[in-house]
Amino acid sequence: MADTTPNQFFDLWKQQLEEGTQAWTRLLSQQPPAATPPNPMNFWKPILDQGLQNWARLFAQSPASPDLMTQWKQFLDQWIEAWSKVLGQTMGTEQFAKLMGQSLDSFLVSQAPMKRALDQQVEQALQAFNLPSRSQLTAVAKQIVELEERIERLEDGVGAVLRRLNKEPT
Amino acid sequence: MGQERFADVVERFTDGFGPAAPSVSPETIKQWQEELDKNYRRLRNLHTMVTNPAEPKVGQTPREEIYRKNKSRLYRYASSRRHRTPLLFVPNLGISRPYIFDLLPNGSFIEHMTREGFDFYLLDWGVFGPEDNGLTVEDCVTKILPRMARKVLETSGTEELSVLGYCMGGPVSVSFVATHPEIPVKNYINMAGPIDFSKVGLFGLWLSKEHFNVDRFVDTLGSVPADMVKAGFKLIKPTMDLSTNLNLWWNLWNDKYVEGFQALNKWANEYVAFPGEFFRQWVRDFYQDNKLYRGELVMGGRPVRLSNITCPLFVVGAKEDYIAPPECVRALVGAVGSREKEYVELPGGHISLIAGRGAALHCWPKVSSWLGPRS
Repeated sequence: MADTTPNQFFDLWKQQLEEGTQAWTRLLSQQPPAATPPNPMNFWKPILDQGLQNWARLFAQSPASPDLMTQWKQFLDQWIEAWSKVLGQTMGTEQFAKLMGQSLDSFLVSQAPMKRALDQQVEQALQAFNLPSRSQLTAVAKQIVELEERIERLEDGVGAVLRRLNKEPT
Repeated sequence: MGQERFADVVERFTDGFGPAAPSVSPETIKQWQEELDKNYRRLRNLHTMVTNPAEPKVGQTPREEIYRKNKSRLYRYASSRRHRTPLLFVPNLGISRPYIFDLLPNGSFIEHMTREGFDFYLLDWGVFGPEDNGLTVEDCVTKILPRMARKVLETSGTEELSVLGYCMGGPVSVSFVATHPEIPVKNYINMAGPIDFSKVGLFGLWLSKEHFNVDRFVDTLGSVPADMVKAGFKLIKPTMDLSTNLNLWWNLWNDKYVEGFQALNKWANEYVAFPGEFFRQWVRDFYQDNKLYRGELVMGGRPVRLSNITCPLFVVGAKEDYIAPPECVRALVGAVGSREKEYVELPGGHISLIAGRGAALHCWPKVSSWLGPRS
């Protein structure tokens, strides 16, 4: 592999392109216009398969084996697993939990007044444009949920009465 | 040149490469050919994923909406019903969508159960908005679940039902079963549902009273936004994305794998927010005070006593579950009053216990073969 020059690869690529173009020209000139569109894979597959076989022979002459890929993947898996364990152990400590709790707390403490001010400003802006705010829409949605619950309770009551009536001897 | 085939050109090139050819075994050549073919397929699938990403079709098992209450839906799946007792499946609320249980045809828990002849009902809690921030765990246990269970009984025309709780659906549904003796539950299954929260692992530590102020959290944010839920779950396994992408590249040549990955990836990136009050009660009563296991939980004025559960019980834990470790799931077996009870610990993690190829092999047949004769 070390002896192969870029020029050789370029020539190969060029030849493949020329051959493909000629084959496509032949294929298109032979096809009747009303026929179903040709599947390019049907044309390319035999060429690709043979090409693959030859490339495989070329690679096989090098000391490298495809097993190397599997070994590399196994190495990465083990590396990730090892990191996962280390991180898991770190995150499972009291210090980490304390640090995370403190960061979250400081975020919330700084967030609360900002959020309140922003909500107030948005509410005022929407009011100025005579548009409903999020809190107003939420209130309407809540009312609908409550109405649904009331209807359910009524349904339950009617159902219970009907069941009692059906059980009573006529 | 035009008459010469590309393959011949490569062959001529390789022949002139050196004298090593005779020492190469046909097996090595074949191995390399397979490897090159895989790489070609990898590039082809990557190109398709980038330039023309297909929206995976999930949740394809036929179903009918039986009832809706606010955001929650009760679905009944089409089945060749061979078992009389219906099964109500109660998954987690918030966090993720329940189509993971019906992800792809020929590979989902729901499809397996319906094929096995179970009259299968799924409670989809839904996606909550700010108007639902007042919803509590107690509401789910005392208002939503009893209503859904009654609808199951009404529509299936039976006197009894089986209940299966998964993940958070475990402790929620177990609280319902323990407090509603008027609803006859014939069998109860808990899959990866934490019960003894003193053994709940990383989340237990992070959400403990010493480190997490749940009141400040809910009072400030109102709810737990989906992005925060995502951050929490990503943090618990930070290398997950790395290994997922590495495995994707490794298996990218496999069309079947890519199809499964796309569906799973869609699910894994669709997080669902928690209603604020639900989260407050969930963290305080379950994670911080462990009230369910201690018998101190009260729902709708009724004490939640796990010993009140006397129906046959089946508990499934996952060996590599870091969200609900097996020891906190198994605790239910010792806490109930059932005479007939069984615990199994299966390979897999919290999700792979119930979804994926491993689940089809280890978990689904176990659940259906336990429940079948009792239904």
